[in-house]
Amino acid sequence: MSVAETSDTVSETANEAQPEPRDAMPLRIVRRLANSRELTLFILVVLLALAMTIAYPHNFPTGPNLRAVLLNLATVGILVCGMMLLMIAGTFDLSVGSTLALSGVWAGVVAGWWGWPAEAAILIGIAVGALAGLVNGLIVTRIGINALIATLGTLTIYRSLTYVTAGTGVTPISDAFAEYGRAADPILRLQSPFWAMLVLVLVGGWLVARTRFFRQFYFVGGNPRAAQLSGIRVDRLVLIGFVIMGALAGLAGVLGAARLNSAVVNAGVGIELKVITATVLGGASLKGGEGTILGGILGVLFIALIENAMIINAVGVFWQGLVVGLVLLFAVSLDRFKTSGRG
Amino acid sequence: MAPRLLVSNLSKSFPGVRALDDVSMSVEPGEIRALLGENGAGKSTLGKIVAGVYQRSQGSVHLDGVELGAFDEKVAGDLGIGIVHQEGSLVPQLSVAENIFAGRQPAGWLGQVDVRLMREKARALISQLGVRIDPAAKVVLLSPAQTQIVEIAKALSRDLKLLILDEPTAALTLTETERLFEIVRRLADDGVSIIYVSHRLAEIFALCHSVTVLKDGRLAGTRQVADTTTDELIRLMVGRDVHLTRAATVRKPGAIVLEAHDISAPPLVRSASVTVRSGEIVCLAGLIGSGRSEFCEAIFGARRRYGGSIRLDGRAIDPHGPWDAKRAGIGLVPEDRKNSGLFLGMDLVNNIAATVLSKVSSGVNFSESKAEALANRFVGDLRIATPSVRKLVGDLSGGNQQKVLLAKWLAMEPRLLIVDEPTRGVDVGARSEIYRLLRELADRGVALLVVSSDLPEVLALADRIVVMAEGRTVGELGGEHATEEEVLRLATRFTSSVVERRKKVVGA
Repeated sequence: MSVAETSDTVSETANEAQPEPRDAMPLRIVRRLANSRELTLFILVVLLALAMTIAYPHNFPTGPNLRAVLLNLATVGILVCGMMLLMIAGTFDLSVGSTLALSGVWAGVVAGWWGWPAEAAILIGIAVGALAGLVNGLIVTRIGINALIATLGTLTIYRSLTYVTAGTGVTPISDAFAEYGRAADPILRLQSPFWAMLVLVLVGGWLVARTRFFRQFYFVGGNPRAAQLSGIRVDRLVLIGFVIMGALAGLAGVLGAARLNSAVVNAGVGIELKVITATVLGGASLKGGEGTILGGILGVLFIALIENAMIINAVGVFWQGLVVGLVLLFAVSLDRFKTSGRG
Repeated sequence: MAPRLLVSNLSKSFPGVRALDDVSMSVEPGEIRALLGENGAGKSTLGKIVAGVYQRSQGSVHLDGVELGAFDEKVAGDLGIGIVHQEGSLVPQLSVAENIFAGRQPAGWLGQVDVRLMREKARALISQLGVRIDPAAKVVLLSPAQTQIVEIAKALSRDLKLLILDEPTAALTLTETERLFEIVRRLADDGVSIIYVSHRLAEIFALCHSVTVLKDGRLAGTRQVADTTTDELIRLMVGRDVHLTRAATVRKPGAIVLEAHDISAPPLVRSASVTVRSGEIVCLAGLIGSGRSEFCEAIFGARRRYGGSIRLDGRAIDPHGPWDAKRAGIGLVPEDRKNSGLFLGMDLVNNIAATVLSKVSSGVNFSESKAEALANRFVGDLRIATPSVRKLVGDLSGGNQQKVLLAKWLAMEPRLLIVDEPTRGVDVGARSEIYRLLRELADRGVALLVVSSDLPEVLALADRIVVMAEGRTVGELGGEHATEEEVLRLATRFTSSVVERRKKVVGA
């Protein structure tokens, strides 16, 4: 219940801050929700969690189930941090799934086949991801190819490189390496991918929301030409954004491989659409200039809860896409009600 | 015999502007008539009404003695009136032939386009103009001159009585211009009447039989080219009351701040030099397309510079991008505020903070409160009318947007501020406030370089006027006693000397 009270106070302060002309009651609520995607999502996540607790008291609020939900969303959660940054800058990366697999496989090769220490394997895996991101960024900023086409190309290239590197994958890798993906804290018993994601969301959220360096990404997305003429180094920032995205995909790939003690060549197939869905649900716009990491992670949480409900309900995976798609369309259509929207 | 074209008492109003006011003229068959005037004098509007692109508000149009009712571009085309637009009307990805016969392709018995017949017809039309262009080539691959010729061929693809050319030489080289002139003369010899819209005096003397001058939407006079002089035409173009006054006090300019020497940034900037002193307003005047904005962008590092040197406060700088120029203390307020200046989807706070992120931060953190304080200060100083600094800039009026754009650059406290068209699309009230603001800046010792196409504005603001033509700085005038005639003479003299050289080349 304390959660519901918090959301009440939040909406009251928002009310004081904006002495706009008043509309009819229902429209006003729609406007309020449309103006803060984070608030909307937060309320939805809380409501959904409450509903599921009431509907499935024996299945949903249990340790194993919640642990599974949180662990499963770790990969997408890590990727959303980078994707949100790119989408704020008005671009995106479709190759994240392939980058993730390529990084995981390289970490596996280094630790499993070459017998190098686990730490070296992790660093090399992340570096491979960052390099893949760098290539994406260079293609987009230097050659000037549209990000959709550029990363669609590298999506297949990186996947192919993954197969070329390791054939059917590396299994098992090494126990020391696997320990990095399996280590869990003693109290909640959540494994390391979740904690990595949490740290990234907190640190990344603070960086993007508060620091002046990352503030520049909003200007780049808002109007790249004006940003350039304001003395902001647009191309360099976009390049940095792609490198961060690649490194995060690398990290996700390495942790995933470690958790399974197996570098799978098919890891992350199709994950880019899931990541972009969560990012857009979390408040990013394809035009750029909008969005927060907090929103992105709430988007991930929301989708994870819906999927969990489907599983518990045994509705079957076939319906998941339908529900997630409808929620996405609904959330985006809320934008049309923004108070200060243009056109 | 009735004249080919007779327009009487023609007026045209757009919301808030009277673009044409009671204009009458007549054109004979085979006559090449120039339509001359400053930017915004209404010459393009007149051409577009005759071609059916715009509908007239009042007045009448007769073609060969027959009065035309309301008509659109398609009807005008069927009647034999063709127009070649200033900004092309061709579809770049389609072939020359398809463009020429757009919407009227010869069809076979199933309605399918008879490509071979269409290409043959297009080839015949183009060769009639004395040039060869492959009708199957895509328009995107053609040179500007070839594109222009295809536009003319498109107009010729119907039975043509009157051809309107709107600034056709803006994108052409000298030889291409000469070839275009040949084609126009040949058309006139065949009895087609030509209306040639231009502000390039030299071309008018080289090509036209007669000239009609417009000024602020009104008819200023019609002359036979043989009976008139450059001076008379300039007087007709600008002879109006100067409605803006200069500031009473004279500033004492200080040390040299900007010294740009022999800057080249081809193709639009060939060799341009300017110096600006502290506390001085230097205006860059010239015709549209003379390379003024591009010169400024080259100084600011926003355009690739191939030659020349830039010194700021005596120190040589070499800006590779706006960030370098900004660090050196140069600001640039761009001409196109919506596309290049502002973040329309963001609020005033963020817009104003965009150039000074480090100033509104504590450590690595962006400080919302500092940014808000900065924005509030400028809203007060510049009298920006907005309910809150959190308002989206896209929701403000043009004048207030322009002030936000200025504020964004004032925030960084530049040594040199370049302002490109400070009052474009701004109402009279905001205009005078912007002048006051620029003068105050100069009083505080900022060096100002202002680009303006509005001559009264130049005369009202400038301590010194530097005139550009065809990518070169061609002359300099003291601001105080300069007249519009002097400025225009400088801006056009260079083009006329080019025409003389052109004549020599062609004659040889």
